[in-house]
Amino acid sequence: MKPTPPQRAIRFLRWFCRGDYIEEVEGDLIEIFEIQQSNNNTKARRKFYLNVLRYFRPEFIKAFKIGQHSNTTTMIKNDLKIAWRHLLKQKMYSAIKIGGFALGIAACLLIALFVKDELKYDQHYTSKDQIFRLIFEFEGDGAWVWFPAPTAKVLASDFPEIEKSGRLLNSQLFGAGTSEIKLENDPQTFHESGFVYVDHSLLEILEIDFIQGDKNTALKNPNTIVISERKAEKYFPDQDPIGKTVIMQGNVLDNTNDRSYTITGVVKLEEASHFQYDFFMTLSEVEFFNGEQNNWNVTNYHTYFKIDEKADPQGLSEKLNLLTKNYFAPAWIGAGDQDVEEASKKVSYKMQAVPDIHLRNGDIYDNLNHGDIRFVWLFSAVAGFILLIAAINFVNLSTAKSANRALEVGLRKTVGSSRNSLVNQFLTESFLYSLISFLIALAFATFMLPYFNALSDKSLIMPLTEWWFLPLLFGTSLLLGILAGLYPAVYLSSFKPIDTLKGNLSKGSKSSGLRSSLVVFQFSTSIVLIIATFIIYRQMNFILNKDLGFNKDQVLMIQGTNTLGEQIASFKNELLDLSGVEHVSVSNYLPVEGTMRDNNGFYKEGMQGQENAILGQIWSVDADYIKTMGMKLIEGRDFNKNMTSDASSIIINKKMAQKFGFEKPIGERIENFNRARTIIGVIDNFHFESMKDDIRPLCLVLGSSSATTSVKIQTEDIAGVLTAIETKWKKFSPNQEIRYSFLDDKFALMYEDVQRMGSIFTSFAILAIIVACLGLFALSAFMVEQRSKEISIRLVLGASLDNIFKLLTLNFVKLVAISILIAVPVSWYFMQQWLSDYTFRTEIGWDVFVITSVLVLFIALMTISYQSLKAGLANPVKTLRS
Amino acid sequence: MKLQSIGEFEELVLLMVAGLHDEAYGVAILQSLEEKLEKKVNISAVHVALKRMETKGFVESRFGGITGERGGRRKRFYSITAFGKRALDQQYAIRTELYEQIPKISFS
Repeated sequence: MKPTPPQRAIRFLRWFCRGDYIEEVEGDLIEIFEIQQSNNNTKARRKFYLNVLRYFRPEFIKAFKIGQHSNTTTMIKNDLKIAWRHLLKQKMYSAIKIGGFALGIAACLLIALFVKDELKYDQHYTSKDQIFRLIFEFEGDGAWVWFPAPTAKVLASDFPEIEKSGRLLNSQLFGAGTSEIKLENDPQTFHESGFVYVDHSLLEILEIDFIQGDKNTALKNPNTIVISERKAEKYFPDQDPIGKTVIMQGNVLDNTNDRSYTITGVVKLEEASHFQYDFFMTLSEVEFFNGEQNNWNVTNYHTYFKIDEKADPQGLSEKLNLLTKNYFAPAWIGAGDQDVEEASKKVSYKMQAVPDIHLRNGDIYDNLNHGDIRFVWLFSAVAGFILLIAAINFVNLSTAKSANRALEVGLRKTVGSSRNSLVNQFLTESFLYSLISFLIALAFATFMLPYFNALSDKSLIMPLTEWWFLPLLFGTSLLLGILAGLYPAVYLSSFKPIDTLKGNLSKGSKSSGLRSSLVVFQFSTSIVLIIATFIIYRQMNFILNKDLGFNKDQVLMIQGTNTLGEQIASFKNELLDLSGVEHVSVSNYLPVEGTMRDNNGFYKEGMQGQENAILGQIWSVDADYIKTMGMKLIEGRDFNKNMTSDASSIIINKKMAQKFGFEKPIGERIENFNRARTIIGVIDNFHFESMKDDIRPLCLVLGSSSATTSVKIQTEDIAGVLTAIETKWKKFSPNQEIRYSFLDDKFALMYEDVQRMGSIFTSFAILAIIVACLGLFALSAFMVEQRSKEISIRLVLGASLDNIFKLLTLNFVKLVAISILIAVPVSWYFMQQWLSDYTFRTEIGWDVFVITSVLVLFIALMTISYQSLKAGLANPVKTLRS
Repeated sequence: MKLQSIGEFEELVLLMVAGLHDEAYGVAILQSLEEKLEKKVNISAVHVALKRMETKGFVESRFGGITGERGGRRKRFYSITAFGKRALDQQYAIRTELYEQIPKISFS
């Protein structure tokens, strides 16, 4: 039997090759195969395959038509063709529909990326339902995360449901937060932040990913440290960091010594997590003061725990109240507190699920940066509204232009088109628009992403390469196209053929009621956004320009001066010698966030244990502090460094004087930690925390806290002074880079979130008004087009430009006016809500509303007047002749 | 009348079709081409050239009868059209004319 050529190749050839060529090609190939196979069968077969493949080229491939004989595909193709022709026929309207849509979609896309990133926080734990942070809630006083050192131990031993517990300490007071570090055998010091003390068990609870080192024992031994991957790369680029020693520099003045830690691990942290540190120092065998590990009165530790898989969180949460009875209450009694029973009733414990920390923290006080689920929803809502405004343009323009399509609809129906196929046709059309808009939006959003990242302080990327992204986008565009096109499709396809063919259909005016209300909706939304933007900026300005009780201008903060040790006094003196330097003060307690804070109980002398403590801050400052900060002394005198008695003097703020109820505070004595001091002065209240909170009691004492040196500058030549200060620093600390910042910058940083919200709202408000105006522009153009004959006749009969202008604009102006009436109360209500977060806030004046209204009216008028003027100035003869 | 352009390989194939007269079909053309040119030619290239020339009107084709060979597939025989012949003539004329312009000197 003759060997046959490979059947698979022939099947393939038959599949793609044109029918009229197949016999010839196949025959020739087989003939060649028969010639060749007599020499070498395998080679011939291989050749045959190759030859078949060579035919896979346009000349020989048949026209593939999927479902060649299906009516549906033919109809879809036809619908697409018609849609494309319409799109090209009315370029301006199409551009507005698509452009507006694209803007709205781009905004939504960016926001969706933002929201997705926010929602991703702390969702990566395998046992995320089992890990919690312990919250202490005191009725009337708020909730916070700090617990005494033994709490974690007790949780694990007293509650069988709790599998593991771990602590975290990030207080600057104990050497966490920021610090100067150096490597062994290297004189260079580096300033680093992100230091934290943790129990080894905490790393286990939070499922920290170890790249190097043993994840089971890393922090179990004393003086061990685990560092993050990026710091490992920074300090040990080509070496194995395990076993190396880092030294955290201490300071003679602050009574701290150098501490050495051995690196036992390198970890990779999840970026989307509230847990962001770089240096994890062990808490094993650490005691910050005598008896700390059994002290229930000092609360410094964040406490996390993991519960058993089968445990019931609800039940455990109730059982946690045993903590008060068994541990806290006895400790309070031991410290001599009164009303322990009363206080115990007010205490409760909450278990905050770790995945909730980032977005759903609420009012829990923890000194960490949080997102806010309300922002996430707010932004989503705003983006949704912009998209809605764009969709409204789509609906409005489609129905308005219906007159032009009416004849087409009538004719199609007459020749037998069903309503369904007409609906299909219009839906295909809107889908085409939506698809084009999506493509433009995608390009636009990708282009805008860097700006949006800067605006929202994120590092988002367009997930173009993710497998789900493009299909999702396509699906959404299909859905959106259908949603936006549904009403126009149903409306347009409802025309009766007899009316349209007779020309009876009143042109485009039928649904003008609906159209007007949609325009009102668009403008109301835009106006609300504009007013919101205005008020956010007002509040921002209010905060930045408020009399703070201290002078934040021209104050330079030199950080890391604790490394100077005892030389700091001479450093200070040399700075004072510089021209342009007015005052110098050494203290790390400053009225901006990120500096030292504490919390202490104060009593009138001898009253501890008999009266409740007044809670307040005690700040260690030097004698030049009040002058440098420009604070106002309202009674008594400032510290005097020549009076040795001032070591036991104290200056309090007005709030503390009020809390104590002192009529004449000067000379009164108050005590804290069994040390009484005499009040020598009262300073005016100043803001040292966010304006969201009230000003709390505070007092100043002479002491040393040398991490920051503040320099009050009084000169025009700031650059010159800065250079001089830098030179001085070089002299004192040749191995360390100088770090400084200005107090007012730091202060502005505290309100960064307000500022960020302001800029985001501005962008959205601008976007909303642009999209709304695009719609208005197209609508007015349409109106003018419809009434061009009428206008011409009016002009011929002697109407002035003025008349025509009024005639055409009045209707739209009315709509905008109604929008203003709706938007004003709505925005007033929402902004009132927002402002109520702030204890110190600006008033919402009527001027905001007036300015916005005038602005919006002006913009709207500008938008429509172009078309109206064009109509009024046109030569009536031209229109009438046609 | 301006003739449609004709490529080099197409011209060769056309010459073969004309030369083989009534016996010109894919494999025959391929074999004589390979023989004359002394190099490997691909059958698909021959087919492409034939199809193109057929649309241009240089060649026409008909099916032969069914035989036991080639798995029972019919051959498609090509023959040159008058139009095709004219194209060849013209091409030949141009070539000759150009050739004649070469000055009669020795090129060795």
